[in-house]
Parts: sequence; C-alpha cells; structure tokens
Amino acid sequence: MTNHEITVSVGGGHELDRAGLAALIASLPGLRVVPLEQQLPPQVLVWEAQEGAEGLPSPSPNTAILLLTEDADYESLPERVNGLLSKDESSKSLGIAIRQVARGEQYLSPAIAIAILQKRKTKAALTESQKSAIQSLTDRESEILELLAQGLSNKAIAAQLYLSVRTVEGHLANIYSRLDVHSRTEAMLMAVRTR
Amino acid sequence: MRSSQTRLAILGTMSDLHSQPVAYDLDCLRKVVADLAPDLLCAEITLDNWERKDFSRASLEVREALAPVIASMDIVLIPVAPTVKQYADFTSDSGWRRRLVYALDQLLRWGQIQADDVKTVNGPWFAAFCHTVCWATERFWTAKERAAWERQNKDLAENIVRAVQRDSGRRVLVTVQCQRLHQLIPLLHAHDDLFSIVAFQNL
Repeated sequence: MTNHEITVSVGGGHELDRAGLAALIASLPGLRVVPLEQQLPPQVLVWEAQEGAEGLPSPSPNTAILLLTEDADYESLPERVNGLLSKDESSKSLGIAIRQVARGEQYLSPAIAIAILQKRKTKAALTESQKSAIQSLTDRESEILELLAQGLSNKAIAAQLYLSVRTVEGHLANIYSRLDVHSRTEAMLMAVRTR
Repeated sequence: MRSSQTRLAILGTMSDLHSQPVAYDLDCLRKVVADLAPDLLCAEITLDNWERKDFSRASLEVREALAPVIASMDIVLIPVAPTVKQYADFTSDSGWRRRLVYALDQLLRWGQIQADDVKTVNGPWFAAFCHTVCWATERFWTAKERAAWERQNKDLAENIVRAVQRDSGRRVLVTVQCQRLHQLIPLLHAHDDLFSIVAFQNL
C-alpha cells in the first residue's frame, strides 16, 4: 500500500455489476478496494444506483459517497451524496471522481451537471449583491467559474489551465466564499445566470 | 500566497529501453509516477501535440506510460518539450563521426541495461557514466546540431520554470530522457530561489 492510496468500497446494483466495478477500481492506480463491512470505514463508497439513492446505507460520516447512475434526472445532489457519476463516462473519469469526493469535494458528471443547470437556470435571476460578488472575482477565478459552469471536473479544469488540482480547489474555495455559496451546484448556477 | 516552497524532482528515463526486459521497464515507470503522485508532471511532449492528443511523435515514455497513468489520477501533465526532436534525432554529418556516435550510443545502452533499475539509473554512479558518454557524444555532432540541442534544453528548462512560477508551492516531477540530465540539472539549479530540487524518492 502506498501513502496516496484511497480505500474504496462498492455497493448497490447487482452482484456481477459490483464485481466488475470492484475489479475496474482495483485496476486504477492509487485506489484500493475494501469491503464495506469492516471496522475501518472506506474513504469512498461507490454506490450503483437503481432507484436513485434508495437503499443507500449510512456509512461513517467520513466516507464520501459517489453515486453511479444512468439517470440524469436530478435537480441537485441527493442528500448525503458527494458525487454523481454518469454510467456513460469512461473508467478514467471514475478514478477522477473517486479522488475528488475523497478530498471532500463534490463531483458531477458533465452530462448531469448540464441537465441540472437546464432545469434550474431559469428559476431565479441574480440579485445585485450576487452580480457584484461575481464581478469581484479575479480573472483566474472567473476563468475557473466559467469552466465549472461547463460541467468540468476539477481535474479537467486543472488540465486545461495547466495548474495543479490543489490550486484549482484553492481557487474554488475562494470562489465559494466570495459568492457566499456552499456547493458546486450553487456556484455553477450563479455562473450560468450571468451569461 | 503559499509559504511552502516548490519541491521538484527529476526522473531520468530510458526511451525505448523501457520496453525491453529490464527492471526499469514501462510498468516500473508507471508505478513510480503513480506512487509519487506529483501535483504536476513535466513531460517531453510539445504543447501543440499534447493539446491535439497526437502522441505519434511523442516519446515512448509519454505515449505508453505517462499519459495513460495520469488519465485517472489527479496529476496534471505539463508539456514542456519545445520541439518534437529527441536526443536520438541529433546527429553528425557522416563518416567516422557518425560511427563514433553510434558506438557511444551502444555504450550508453549497455550502461542503461547494466544499471537496470530506477534507483540506479537515477543514482550518482550512472549519472557520472551517462553524463560523460552523452557529453562525449555531443562533441561529435555538428556545431549546428550541438547548438540546437543546447537551445532545446534551455527552452525546456524555461518551460519548466514557467510552470513552477504559474503554480508555486507544489510537488513537481520532471520526467526527461536521461541524456538531457547533464544539461538540464545545472539549468534548473540556476533557479534554486524558486524551487528545491530533491531526489525523486523524496518528492
């Protein structure tokens, strides 16, 4: 085991799906599959959704939950869930999503993020204070917010700007603070409404 | 502004020898990079080719090991090669100089096979051997080729420095073919105020 290994458990779906998913995760560098029923809880639980988040167990509060879904019919992240990953995404995206939620960040697949934005963007206009907060962002923060609004993951934003993922997460924390929002979805919605 | 200084490690690689049956093979290279999990990975591919995902002229290391391993990790690849030319593309005119360059290249390959593992290839004894052989090889290139090689290494070093300046305080791994090291290490040491260079095991 290396210092950077993230422990992951797999649940939900059918037994064969779980076995395939566990094998796939185990093949990705820096990830280790562990059983869910153990004293030391995993850092991430990847749950294959069948009826939304139904049946999702209540693991340790320190375990981040990544919901694997075919359905894009969400208006936001379900309660207790840290990330939504579309089953249409590549295995590489699965690795990126697991790492992102393991660090306490949220993850939304681009397709799901765009679907959420389409549903919610017309519901409210920006207030003057929100407009002013957006204008107060630095050029780099505005650039990152724009990429966030395109549904990009932190890794994809970092790769596009040739910055480290940690640096992007630092900028995102500043953006959330300046915009007075508490989630990725809220920040994305504000960005989309300014367009 | 972050207070912690950038840590930078340089990992010498061995081009097509990584696909030979040596301990420092492509799997070993992938594992070293995955275990180190640097924030930024500076690699030998041009910006243009990286953005177009055109690996046809990228080195074997980038094509077969680095690009695949970072795809599912949080490592961001910084393309730092100024041109597509690699060490093996620099040569002399013809005749005895070319034959000597070939002989020295065979000597270097012999040394790489003897060194065999990642720690030895990146250790002091092999460094002295590799630097001497590569320095001697460069003497037999044409003056124009030698100048182009030196210019390329300077540009590559500047690209690394720019990446560090853009994102300071991070863990940066530079992977370059070991033939560059005797040129690149002094160029990077000129920027000790920007980063501390550490052994790859200590990144």
